[in-house]
Amino acid sequence: MNYIEVALNVEPDYSEILVAELGELGFESFVETDEGLLAYIQEGDFDETELQNIVAKYLELTAIAATWKSLERKNWNEEWEKSYEPIEVGNQVRVRAVFHKPDPAFTYDLLIQPKMSFGTGHHETTWLVMNEQLSLPHQGLAIMDVGCGTGILAILGAKLGAVSLLGFDIDEWAVENTVENFEMNELSAETEVFQGTISKVPEGKMFGGILANINRNILLCEIPTYIQHLEPGGWLVTSGFYEVDQPDIEQCAIENGLKKLRSNTRNQWATVVFEKAKIE
Amino acid sequence: MAKEIGGYVKLQVKGGQANPSPPIGPALGSKGLNIMEFCKQFNGRTQDKMGVVLPVVITYYKDKSFDFVIKTPPAAILLLEASKVKTGSAQPNRLKVGSVSWDQVRTIAETKMPDLNCFTIDSAMKMIAGTARSMGITVAGKAPWEENN
Repeated sequence: MNYIEVALNVEPDYSEILVAELGELGFESFVETDEGLLAYIQEGDFDETELQNIVAKYLELTAIAATWKSLERKNWNEEWEKSYEPIEVGNQVRVRAVFHKPDPAFTYDLLIQPKMSFGTGHHETTWLVMNEQLSLPHQGLAIMDVGCGTGILAILGAKLGAVSLLGFDIDEWAVENTVENFEMNELSAETEVFQGTISKVPEGKMFGGILANINRNILLCEIPTYIQHLEPGGWLVTSGFYEVDQPDIEQCAIENGLKKLRSNTRNQWATVVFEKAKIE
Repeated sequence: MAKEIGGYVKLQVKGGQANPSPPIGPALGSKGLNIMEFCKQFNGRTQDKMGVVLPVVITYYKDKSFDFVIKTPPAAILLLEASKVKTGSAQPNRLKVGSVSWDQVRTIAETKMPDLNCFTIDSAMKMIAGTARSMGITVAGKAPWEENN
């Protein structure tokens, strides 16, 4: 998705008013400049008339001029990606880029070229989930990776023995990147990747394990749906939230019938592993 | 030894909605910082302020690490919330679209106090009331400092 950058020449007193007004129109983020303000919105959400209306109504009070341009889709993270350091999880997993030499001391060698997607293992939550995966059964299972980012968690799932992977993400970069990373790791598992949310997963499609490294609000909203896609005896790994939010996540999962297996934290970020009861 | 500061990046981003697109992408990417790391942290810390525009000041270091401070939302946004209107007046100098009480102005001033260049709550309230007037939002009643006049 391309973005529109609107440059507004305006007095500082009116900058924050315009931030409030444009925020209501769907503008996502802003930068104050010496001349006024830069405002950013997804191209599909940009309405020139609405912008002109906002400008017009404050013109009687102050001088405002607005110009805009479309910004090309680009990998802004390239600079960092060019030089990232490999990450190790325990003494079994090593996540590296193609420009790093493999290290045969590690059982699981994951190749990740992030291309502006989340998940290299550098962040605490990715590390925490991978660390839990190492002690969860994967052999022969179908695994779902919710908000897959680079696809790193699903890739580790496949290397641990999963036979089928479903990954999805709302971000188109992430979807393209997951496909690339799946290919780069030459996985033998069946793979499917799509752009969207859990709502697009067909009813009745079941998984032995679900990996959900997202955020508190999405998890609280979607955990009941994950459970519908979880086989009896299957596991759910949640992460992407801070320790302070852990009680809310646990309450939500337990109220919806899951059993907490264990939890872990790293630098204030948390992960909790749940299990769905087996059918007696 | 303290890390050597490379500089600062100031942005305003909606709570829970940071993504690697502009302006976050180019602002951080050009410094060689890990954009996705920032987005995850910012979104994690602002889950209770989803969709509210929040100023954020990012300090980046020569070793490409960073930390950041999230500030209070702009007064104009707090005023729209308090007055329960979605947008300022179509003719802010003539047509008033909403009103707030001086108590609400005080609450906003108290919220904003850490980020304002004001030494007293009265001067912060005057600043907030000025923003309200510019948006076509009236402040109902007498200002506390006028009540004895």
